Amino acid sequence: MSNANNLTYETVQIGDALGPAEFHLSKDQVRAYAKTCGMWVPRFIDDEGARKEGLPGMITPGNMSLAILSKLVTDWAGSSGARVVRMGTTYRQPVMPDHTLTLQGFVTHKNESDRTAEMDIWIESEEGDRLVIGTATVHFPR
Amino acid sequence: MSTTLDLHSHSEASEDSRAPLEAYLNWLKLRRAERPVDGVVLTEHRQFNKDADYRALEDRFGILVLKASEVETDYGHVLVFGVTDEMTRRFDFANVHLPAQEVIDEVARMGGVAVPCHPGRPNVGLCEHYAKKPPLENVIAVEVLNGGSRKGEDERSVELAQARGYHAIGGSDSHLVSLIGLCATRFEAEIRTIDDLVRELKSGEYAPVDFRPRRKPVPHATPVEVRQA
Repeated sequence: MSNANNLTYETVQIGDALGPAEFHLSKDQVRAYAKTCGMWVPRFIDDEGARKEGLPGMITPGNMSLAILSKLVTDWAGSSGARVVRMGTTYRQPVMPDHTLTLQGFVTHKNESDRTAEMDIWIESEEGDRLVIGTATVHFPR
Repeated sequence: MSTTLDLHSHSEASEDSRAPLEAYLNWLKLRRAERPVDGVVLTEHRQFNKDADYRALEDRFGILVLKASEVETDYGHVLVFGVTDEMTRRFDFANVHLPAQEVIDEVARMGGVAVPCHPGRPNVGLCEHYAKKPPLENVIAVEVLNGGSRKGEDERSVELAQARGYHAIGGSDSHLVSLIGLCATRFEAEIRTIDDLVRELKSGEYAPVDFRPRRKPVPHATPVEVRQA
């Protein structure tokens, strides 16, 4: 497996893992993100407000989930000089704060012509459900 | 000789997948020890690519590739195996409100098999529709093991299959390369063509198989520091 210290297009291998990385997402973190992004709406602030909108409780903004996943990729790329050129996600279930999330991914294929690597990435719940799934493309400079 | 096939997968031909078939096959080759599947069936959403020819990739990786379709009906999503020109003339596969009973009966009459998939899933599964409408007739099998299922969905599917006497299949429903082959169906017979697959689906001589790794408990969590706004 390649590691971030000597990560190059040549050393990256199909099957290389990103993570798994576990962390606890707090309600305060979600509120801070919502406030910063001008998304101060009930579903991102408190359980009661979210339930009034028909949700099971306070949820995480989709672009925060995307940002969390992008950190998985940029942490993997480290200081290699590689940069994320594309990310795409599908939101399958709400990401609820006050839970432990697992971030994981795998390098799935490489494109020699443009020196990019494609990877699968996802956020998993404590029960193992994939809440958000996606793919990312990372470009490696010469 | 038995055959194990992932009966439900989506390549980049489906609008919600970016997985190239070549990457799927390469992944299965790399993970052969964990996911010993002999082949995959591409069940692209609402379409059937009659002209796609995957023989070169099959030969290169030594993995069987068959084509089917996942259509959308008034009873949820249905996998159609053994698609023919007659079927694509009879039904507009892009129509998201196809009549399920007609699909099941007409596909059977034209020599194929229609299998409702992820029946335990809300909105797009059979269970929810059975709670409101009469059950479908002539259903041979349903998908009881789906790699994309949330907690409880497969359990509901198994209950439905047992209650109705349906045969059971499994498939990954993969939209990501690394998820291919995690759920599959093991057939007693050898399968080399789509005709073989249709024949065996009618026989009932198969069972779903689960290759998903056993999940380890999530360890003690470490809060991530963020600057308060």
